Amino acid sequence: MAQTENRVALVTGSGKGVGAGVVKVLARNGVKCCINCNSNPQMAEQTLKAVQDEGGEAFIYQANITDDAQLTGMVNAIIERYGRLDILVNNAAMQPNRFIDEYDADSFRNLWEINIGGYYRSVLKCLPYLRKSEQPCIVNISSIHGKRPTGFDAGYAMTKGAIRMFTRELALELLPDKIPVNAVDLGGCKIEFKTGNQPFTSHSPLDVHNPDMKARPQLIVPEEVGELVWYLCSEAGAALNGDGIRMDRGSAMT
Amino acid sequence: MENKVVIITDLRSTEARDAQEYLAQIGYEVVAVPETVRLYDEEALSAFAEPYRDRLCGVIHPAPARILGGIDDVTEEDWARARDEGPIAALIVTKVFCGIFRDKKEGSLIYLNSIHAEKPVGKGFLFSMGCGAVQMLAREANLDYGTDNVNVFFVQRGITEDDMNCRSDASSLYCGVDMRYPLRRMPEKGNLNGMLAFLLTPAAQPLTGSDLRADGGMTMFYTHRHMVEGRDYFGTNRK
Repeated sequence: MAQTENRVALVTGSGKGVGAGVVKVLARNGVKCCINCNSNPQMAEQTLKAVQDEGGEAFIYQANITDDAQLTGMVNAIIERYGRLDILVNNAAMQPNRFIDEYDADSFRNLWEINIGGYYRSVLKCLPYLRKSEQPCIVNISSIHGKRPTGFDAGYAMTKGAIRMFTRELALELLPDKIPVNAVDLGGCKIEFKTGNQPFTSHSPLDVHNPDMKARPQLIVPEEVGELVWYLCSEAGAALNGDGIRMDRGSAMT
Repeated sequence: MENKVVIITDLRSTEARDAQEYLAQIGYEVVAVPETVRLYDEEALSAFAEPYRDRLCGVIHPAPARILGGIDDVTEEDWARARDEGPIAALIVTKVFCGIFRDKKEGSLIYLNSIHAEKPVGKGFLFSMGCGAVQMLAREANLDYGTDNVNVFFVQRGITEDDMNCRSDASSLYCGVDMRYPLRRMPEKGNLNGMLAFLLTPAAQPLTGSDLRADGGMTMFYTHRHMVEGRDYFGTNRK
């Protein structure tokens, strides 16, 4: 099937972890990428080097996605450099590992603004360019925590539940623009570390990383997420819209 | 029911006012949180709840008023209001009241929410996002407080006459609404009262953690055959 050449992608939170895996796969398939990072620019350099070593094209832009001016600056930099924007992968998020009693309005508001506000604002900034694209696509990286509770972090789960509905609503709204919007509901993933992670304090949640758990699933590797994202951005993935694809090797099936 | 208190956190919706009237009729003391107490203000809500602590058996937390508009339309003020009155208010309500129930080792929290926790309509992403977030809060709250005998229910109510301004060109969800109900009519006033009363009783405990889709069957099927044939899309000539 036909693919538009020279597509350009913004992957938020792609200096490391899942986002870095997505960038590597997109770049391998000829997509020029903006590697967005915030707190770990040195890890973004490693991601850029990996892309370039494989002959891919990318650049790093350090921006906090909750900051309107920084987001605008990043999208402007992409347009200035490549002249277009075709793919938005919303990925930047944090997981503080707090329980309901450990949140207050301010700490949850902060989490909300990063985990869902950042997705919303990134879409807002990118939409004018996505609407001009011949083959646009939005992918929201989410989590099985948006469907199944685990006792890890109620606030985090709430933001993932919000992304589930944001994806469905946006898919409907952007039907006239022919912009498909899908989510990847990711299970346990093998990454360096999660931004904002803190040790558990008051409770002992179900420990899926405990090696004694017999049904412990093999963790997802970031580049596997990248392959799924690439499929969703391709002609072959065009039948999917408003979907949340669970990618967890079946761990949340039962 | 004598001496038992049920708190309703927000009386702006028809179904919340119906529930208030019905629960009072069957003997509960029903107390509404006044609008001057912001539900996302933990200190104010805790102070309001304190006098009822001993007699409190249940809390009903309705979804906030809808903010309509697409991604290109909503303002920063809309965004902030939806965030504070939706997910943040629900989180603080949960923390305050489930904390009381945990101490008492009994009590029920009912989120009186919407099918828009799962069904999009293309005209109210702020509302749907909030519903999706509260749906996950309900599940997580079951894990956080369930061992202390606290019941948490998430009720997805269907579409009523009150909602028809939410109809959108992007979705057929609100088209031929009465055709979508197996009973061929929309829910009527007070339709959820009996269920809410049941959820406040110990008999409902096996249902804790469930999503209760109280939508009269309207989202049960994909598309009614009459709608596919185009014969009865707007609910005329019903058979």
